[in-house]
Amino acid sequence: MKNIHARQSRRWLGPVLFVVYCVAYLAFVLGAAFTTFRDGKPVGGLARAAVGGVNLAVVAGMLLIVGAFILALLYAMFGARAHDEPEYDGAPKDDSQ
Amino acid sequence: MIYESSMLAIAVFAAFVGAVLALSFWLGSRAQSAGGYFAAHGRVGWFVNGIAFAGDYLSAASFLGICGMIAFFGYDGFLYSIGYLAGWIVAMFVIAEPVKRLGKYTLADALNSRFQSRGVKLVAAVATLVISLFYLVPQMVGAGALVKPLLGLPHWAGVTMVGTAVTIIVATAGMVSTTWVQFIKGTMLVAICAFVVALILDRGFTVPARAIRADETQSILKSPTGTIVNGAPLAPDNQLDSRLRAEHGTGFGSVAALPAGVTTTGPLGPIAYLETFAQSSITTWRKGTDAESGATTFTPVDRAGSELLLPGGSPTFKGVRDDRLVSKLDFLSLMLALFLGTASLPHILIRYYTVKDAAAARKSTVVGIAAIGIFYILTLYLGLGAMTSGALDPTDSNMAAPLLARTFGNGLFAVISAVAFTTVLGTVSGLIMAGAGAVAHDLLKDVFLLKLSDREQVRAGKIAAVGLGVIAIGLGVMFEKMNVTFLVGWAFNVAASANLPALVMLLFWARTTKQGIIASISVGLVSSLTWILLSADTLEKVYGYSATESLASSIVPFSQPAIVTVPLGFVVLVVVSLLTAQRNTAPG
Repeated sequence: MKNIHARQSRRWLGPVLFVVYCVAYLAFVLGAAFTTFRDGKPVGGLARAAVGGVNLAVVAGMLLIVGAFILALLYAMFGARAHDEPEYDGAPKDDSQ
Repeated sequence: MIYESSMLAIAVFAAFVGAVLALSFWLGSRAQSAGGYFAAHGRVGWFVNGIAFAGDYLSAASFLGICGMIAFFGYDGFLYSIGYLAGWIVAMFVIAEPVKRLGKYTLADALNSRFQSRGVKLVAAVATLVISLFYLVPQMVGAGALVKPLLGLPHWAGVTMVGTAVTIIVATAGMVSTTWVQFIKGTMLVAICAFVVALILDRGFTVPARAIRADETQSILKSPTGTIVNGAPLAPDNQLDSRLRAEHGTGFGSVAALPAGVTTTGPLGPIAYLETFAQSSITTWRKGTDAESGATTFTPVDRAGSELLLPGGSPTFKGVRDDRLVSKLDFLSLMLALFLGTASLPHILIRYYTVKDAAAARKSTVVGIAAIGIFYILTLYLGLGAMTSGALDPTDSNMAAPLLARTFGNGLFAVISAVAFTTVLGTVSGLIMAGAGAVAHDLLKDVFLLKLSDREQVRAGKIAAVGLGVIAIGLGVMFEKMNVTFLVGWAFNVAASANLPALVMLLFWARTTKQGIIASISVGLVSSLTWILLSADTLEKVYGYSATESLASSIVPFSQPAIVTVPLGFVVLVVVSLLTAQRNTAPG
């Protein structure tokens, strides 16, 4: 039973990670489009300083690139196995095959 | 600018291309069957396939176009890097494994897996051909741009050389040789770029001895009688940057002032490099036209580094800084196309058929994301390094990266040009492979029902590859002057609009019908192409209208169609599927 729950939660990992990344990407794109400039001048949003004088536009861009790799790695390590394992139907396994 | 060829560059280039072609002939014997020719027998290891993904995906647009865009306009090129990489998330979580499970050789196989319909095969194959040709144009343009400084040959010669080399690669061993060419290219591209970035960081920033004044406009006038540079005929000692070099010791693209008034920084770390750039003033060059002579002018404009590290500095993304909603929609539409386009590109999707199973497909995607992500982070440093290298050619943004390499010596210039050339070979061979599969496997065998044996299918694929190579050469010559990144943006729009709705709904909506798939691909393809061809950008950059005329004549509100045409594809698929569901389930 515990294994079934673990496998079911792993099946959700892919969609959850996908939604997390979509939200981050959407926030970045909308931030660039609607909060960074007014009358052509930088007013905030991605223009704000983030790390040691480097603005949020650069830092967020780097994080989106690095984040994509981290999420893909998490999925490959923990989530994807659920799709590769056959569903356990409760019947005893035949080890002779 | 006049480019002088270097014997070292020619030697490195010849050795590289010779090795690649020899590899193709050697591997040719392994690709006699259709499974070998179109899918490398599905036996490519996941790590090799992952790096080959990078080799397939990191095209001339990524290497030449993004670096050039950052070097000319700052952050905007990096927006492409972010969008291109983000697209792999869609491939990883949504498309990769189902496509691997459903297909055999081509994207059309996967789309048709539930229906066995000639109509689905036909529209999917046509979409593959159109998208591949759209994507081929910037690659071939990039090839021409590279050969100019490398071999001192004109643009058309470079395009022809790439076209010929790629046709040989694909026609000899199909996906087997294509995979290895892409693996070698992907490895070398990332390694060489990392090396150049290390040199950039080690060099830091330096302010020229004499500051460039705002009135030092440079001009170039091309006429049937010859090229005039700054009022005198073009010559080796009178090039566009000759006067600047004589008076300031630097060419186009330099630092006007560093923080705290220092004149040089010495070596910098990756974060300190960006911090210093943000606090510096950079001399950029504004392009214009002289009202009297009609000459193209370049006027120096000092801009804050912090401003150059924000989006909206280039013509492509200027809508970000515009308060009008329609301008912002253009930007949002392009970012949507980049996000959704990757997982819809036929030449990327067919790489999932070269590994043995879904697990290998997934692992290879992770490796691909790692290699591609590292490269895209490097592009920011390459672009900013080129922007401050004093080596830009203001008439050609595609040359920024190779010219940056030349500032570190002719040896590196030769190597990076040869690698860049191989970059084009790797991507173009993938595109032609996708097109050849669509013609031989989808159209001839499954649509026109020609009874082809395994060997005849391979022969048909090879003939199709030759035909596509010839078309690619012609298109590469026609579109010489366009920024390659801009063109790739269009290909992503068309791919996302035509393929993504059909792929996603096929995988996740059980009521999808073959008529829905056919309608969705057809509407997505036609609507995105029509939108692009009628846009102000196309009127200006392809048909040669002035900017004002283009805006007045265009009948679409903005240039990037994905934000309209992708949802349209979903709506059409749902409506047509609902309308035809009963017919498909009716008895008889």
